Amino acid sequence: MDLFLVQLLNGLVYAMLLFLMAAGLSLIFGLMNVVSLAHGSFFMLGAYIGLSIYQITNNFWLALVLAPIPTAALGMVVEILFLRPLYRRGHLDQVLMTFGFTFVFFDLVRSIWGSNIRNMAVPEALAGAVQIGAGIYPVYRLFLIAIGLALALILWLCIERTRIGAMVRAGVDDSAMASGLGANVPLLFTGVFGVGVALAALGGVAAGPIMGLYPGMDSEVMIPAFIVIVVGGMGSLRGAFVGSVLIGMADTFGKTYVPSMALFLIYLVMAVVLLTRPQGFFGIKHMGSSGNIPPRNAVATAPTTRSRIIGAMVVAAMAIAPLFVNNHQLTLVSEIFIFAILAMSLDILLGFTGLPSMGHAAFFGLGAYAVIVLASLFNVDPWIGVAIGVLLAAAGSAFVGYFCVSATGITFLMLTLAFSQLAYSVVVKWRDVTGGSDGIGIPEKPAFFIWSLESRMVMYYMTFGFFILCYLGLRRMIASPLGHVLVGIRENEGRMLAIGHNVQGYKLLAFIISGTIAGFAGGLYALFNGFISPDAIHWSASGDILIMVMLGGGGTLIGPAIGAAIFLLMKNLVSSYSDHWMLIIGCVFIGCVLFFPEGLWGTFRRLKPVRAS
Amino acid sequence: MIELSDINSYYGESHILHGVSLAVQDGEIVCLLGRNGAGKTTAILTIMGYLKPRNGAVCYNGRDISGLPTHAIARLGIGLVPQERGIFPSLTVRENLTVFARPGARDSSRPKDPWTLERIYRLFPRLKERESNLGFQLSGGEQQMLSIARALMLNPALLLLDEPSEGLAPTIVDEIIQILEGLKKEGLAVLLVEQNLRVALAVADRHHVLNKGEICFSGSSSDLKDNDFVLRTYLSV
Ligand SMILES: Nc1ncnc2c1ncn2[C@@H]1O[C@H](COP(=O)(O)OP(=O)(O)OP(=O)(O)O)[C@@H](O)[C@H]1O
Ligand SMILES: [Mg+2]
Repeated sequence: MDLFLVQLLNGLVYAMLLFLMAAGLSLIFGLMNVVSLAHGSFFMLGAYIGLSIYQITNNFWLALVLAPIPTAALGMVVEILFLRPLYRRGHLDQVLMTFGFTFVFFDLVRSIWGSNIRNMAVPEALAGAVQIGAGIYPVYRLFLIAIGLALALILWLCIERTRIGAMVRAGVDDSAMASGLGANVPLLFTGVFGVGVALAALGGVAAGPIMGLYPGMDSEVMIPAFIVIVVGGMGSLRGAFVGSVLIGMADTFGKTYVPSMALFLIYLVMAVVLLTRPQGFFGIKHMGSSGNIPPRNAVATAPTTRSRIIGAMVVAAMAIAPLFVNNHQLTLVSEIFIFAILAMSLDILLGFTGLPSMGHAAFFGLGAYAVIVLASLFNVDPWIGVAIGVLLAAAGSAFVGYFCVSATGITFLMLTLAFSQLAYSVVVKWRDVTGGSDGIGIPEKPAFFIWSLESRMVMYYMTFGFFILCYLGLRRMIASPLGHVLVGIRENEGRMLAIGHNVQGYKLLAFIISGTIAGFAGGLYALFNGFISPDAIHWSASGDILIMVMLGGGGTLIGPAIGAAIFLLMKNLVSSYSDHWMLIIGCVFIGCVLFFPEGLWGTFRRLKPVRAS
Repeated sequence: MIELSDINSYYGESHILHGVSLAVQDGEIVCLLGRNGAGKTTAILTIMGYLKPRNGAVCYNGRDISGLPTHAIARLGIGLVPQERGIFPSLTVRENLTVFARPGARDSSRPKDPWTLERIYRLFPRLKERESNLGFQLSGGEQQMLSIARALMLNPALLLLDEPSEGLAPTIVDEIIQILEGLKKEGLAVLLVEQNLRVALAVADRHHVLNKGEICFSGSSSDLKDNDFVLRTYLSV
């Protein structure tokens, strides 16, 4: 069979799977202004539930039809119990909440079904292949195309031709007006969320036989589905369809005809579309409408004598700590210092300027890879590598920031996410230099002046010193006029613009500062770890940093450092006696978003004056 | 029908309505007047439950509704015509009319001659012509007609109209006056927010004038016409 025709059909298969994901994502966004990061998890859950039904009943069709039901029910429960209480608080909290659930569901799937790849057999009726032209093509794939097209048509008819569909469209247009006319908008939200989840689950079952099932299949489809709705236009079913076909084809044909470019092609398509048409092909809502993150924590007042004394005591305790702890703990605390620097750097962007980046790990990775690649391939001194890495991170953040800072809120989040996944693809793809997915290491750690970093003690004091330096430096910056402008942008961008500040310029500056320090943290991490792999820059790594900041409290600087400590301690402690650290971290994070939106430190700081009075 | 007593409403920390009290009886048209920023829309939003009053009560047929969610308030039989019209741009005219249409709240308050699509099209022939146009393709006057018609399709017992004449040509304003007179004959209760004195005097039985969130005048049409001070100071006539 003609290669071109095969690719065309394969592209359509992929497009239909993407559509099942993107349709729900897009409708949910259109109606609720929430990008559900857990949508991929429902895809995965649906697939696994389908697998179990298939194994019990030995009937694929039952699996396909039944699996979406419990999955949708679960989705609606999540919506009612966890998203609803956050409506008043703004959409970013809801997005973060869905992110917490990706951890929970991942862990759930891994513990119920195991982490090995599971195969799902193609149903017998669709097992063969058919003759098309000069060649053959699997029937099951044709079936996927048919079911995708059929569902697209049904969905379109429901939305365009029924009264419920009109209600949904009215809600997308103006949900406040709809409720003023008697529409129970929260119920509509829950319903649409359920339908979206059901579609994703159905997609998961349908994809099972060709993709295989494994924990982690969620992000495999999530990122492309995100790109689909960004390209097609958020909130538009037509956009989801056209975007799916475009991205499905671009990806499939790219892999065949320009394999070296394949991984970037879809990001390239997205970048081009966004630069020429920011709202996407059929966008009915500009994503930026959700604006900057609302202020959570007021900027700290100047340190009092008491807080100075407490600070000095903490620093002194940390300075003598190595005398009392074992080597393993020393290493863990060194790692915490590095990630504390990273989390504080994100706080500049997220907490102080109000820009939620979901791609911060890319700059960390840039710094780390610079050290290790230069050292192992060109024998460059690792410290020179750190310097080069910092410069590269600065340049990289200037480049990415240039594209991203005109966006706000959820658009900004999606753009940074896409750019970081682009970096991830480059690293995975560029095997000769980066070692691909195996990662790359340096044979031995360098010296810090005259002390070898092979010593854990030296590593501890070095990272400790750099942490203190970064903290003091950043605190200075926050207290400076620049810091005041950034906070002003977070609180009221329009007003800063009106009084003559170059808001875009300042945002870019914040982005560069933030990225540069992340690059520095990455360099330190390379020295610390001696090894780096693409996992460090995967979007979920960026999510971890976001969790650290939110856990501790955005906009407090020291809060994110504390958040990093809690995160890593939990990860280490919990994972040493339980396999469920992701579940626990996920739940802690969800609880935190729900009950401590100001973060642990932010909440503590707010309580303090009450106690004093 | 509806009674606001001693309402205080806030946007965040800014105190907008200061102890506003007013009532609309069955079959009566009451007009709320006042300059830009006086708090008229805020009063409407408070009735509809978009904004919860910090204290005071909104009673509908004797029941305090100020804690209910907006959609529940609407379903009690209150039809809303907001200031910006609130037409759904991606729905057709017909869909705008039918999407949330209801036969009316309670049997007792259900009008003898309920509003149906046919009856609406008889009253607003222009909407019939534009039936399959999308909401965003309408002119300002058509949008206003559609917004009123859409509220009528809920078969409400009380209509809230926020500045229906704003930004419209005088001939269209005349049409709106005629429609309001027709509704009045049917016995529909209306709370009308206006800045246009001609409309207010033509249709309303009683008037309240709002200034900086406080009611500074209440009276009949003739009281208002004769009160030069109020007209000049609070309504810039
Ligand atoms: N969302 C809001 N947040 C804060 N303040 C608001 C908001 N909406 C209105 N205000 C303020 O509340 C006051 C009353 O506004 P309102 O819209 O009720 O006035 P209005 O009488 O309807 O005026 P207009 O004739 O211009 O429609 C104004 O000072 C306005 O600036
Ligand atoms: Mg108004």
